[in-house]
Amino acid sequence: MSLTPHASLPRLAKRWCWAFLLLIATPGTVAAAELEVNEARLRLLPGDLPAAGYFTLTNTSEKGVTLTGADSPAFGNVTMHRTVNQDGITSMQPVAQLELAAGEQIEFAPGGYHLMLMKRTRPLVVSDDIEVNLHFAGEQRQRVTFRAVAPTAQ
Amino acid sequence: MHRWIMALFVTLWLAGCSEPPWQTKDISGLMPPLAFELVDENGKDVNADQFLGKSTLLFFSFTHCPDVCPTTLARLDAATQRMDEAARDDIQVLFVSVDPRRDDAETLREYTDAFGPQFIGLTGDKAALDELTRRYRVTYGYGEEDSEGNYDVSHSSAVFAFNDQGEARLLIRDSDPMEAVVADLERLASGA
Repeated sequence: MSLTPHASLPRLAKRWCWAFLLLIATPGTVAAAELEVNEARLRLLPGDLPAAGYFTLTNTSEKGVTLTGADSPAFGNVTMHRTVNQDGITSMQPVAQLELAAGEQIEFAPGGYHLMLMKRTRPLVVSDDIEVNLHFAGEQRQRVTFRAVAPTAQ
Repeated sequence: MHRWIMALFVTLWLAGCSEPPWQTKDISGLMPPLAFELVDENGKDVNADQFLGKSTLLFFSFTHCPDVCPTTLARLDAATQRMDEAARDDIQVLFVSVDPRRDDAETLREYTDAFGPQFIGLTGDKAALDELTRRYRVTYGYGEEDSEGNYDVSHSSAVFAFNDQGEARLLIRDSDPMEAVVADLERLASGA
């Protein structure tokens, strides 16, 4: 029995090193480390009616970030909106981007900011896990898993 | 002495002899009784008289509304779930779509079924919807169409509540606390 290290070990270590470098160099990974997404849920309606995406986004980094939109392989069209109520009349306004200062938290919640997800690419049912990519200024992406919830979920 | 007796009377009156005030907005006498001629989710012509005998919640909305409309319906569902069964059976929710172009009978039926048996979908032509929205002093309108033909519909988000005789009683808003909505719906169902 020999105690000499295996000949391929340095090569393996080198490969790991490259993998690690690649990992930290990927923009999406940088975003993942600095942004926290919680309570990501997607409220489904029957048929192909538009669904609403809700979540809490916290910018845990030390600099500001700008949320610019989202996409999902399960939907053909995803946009950001805000419900506004003026003199008892409710309407939806498109939101182009949202800035979050360092440490700031923003809530996408019923009656306010929400994602509108249209044109399903596959059938979806309650309790499905649905992948959504949040887009940030500077080509950053963050992949988030949304849980599909019933129309009556609050 | 007289003053004390008077004070006692007033206290008793406030304590037990009068109805407690409604906790959501009281519109008794301020809005006209329930009246409409619309088409239901089975494609049948219906009028308000056919819905008397139960307490009615009337709500103007549309199905291509991802956020606020399902939120209001979910709140009404949660409120009725908290009532006892007999009271719950006395409540019906009329979802009046102000977007008849996209909301045909089938879409409405599928939509209201997703929320529960107490939800009934109605719509109508422009004349019928205009008459009904004017009657309750609310407005609706259509936003600009995007390149794919999608458009937003602005509408009143409040829910009008009528007793089983079709008399206007309450205006319930999304900002009203759940306890207030449950208490008022229970009182409405008991025949107030």
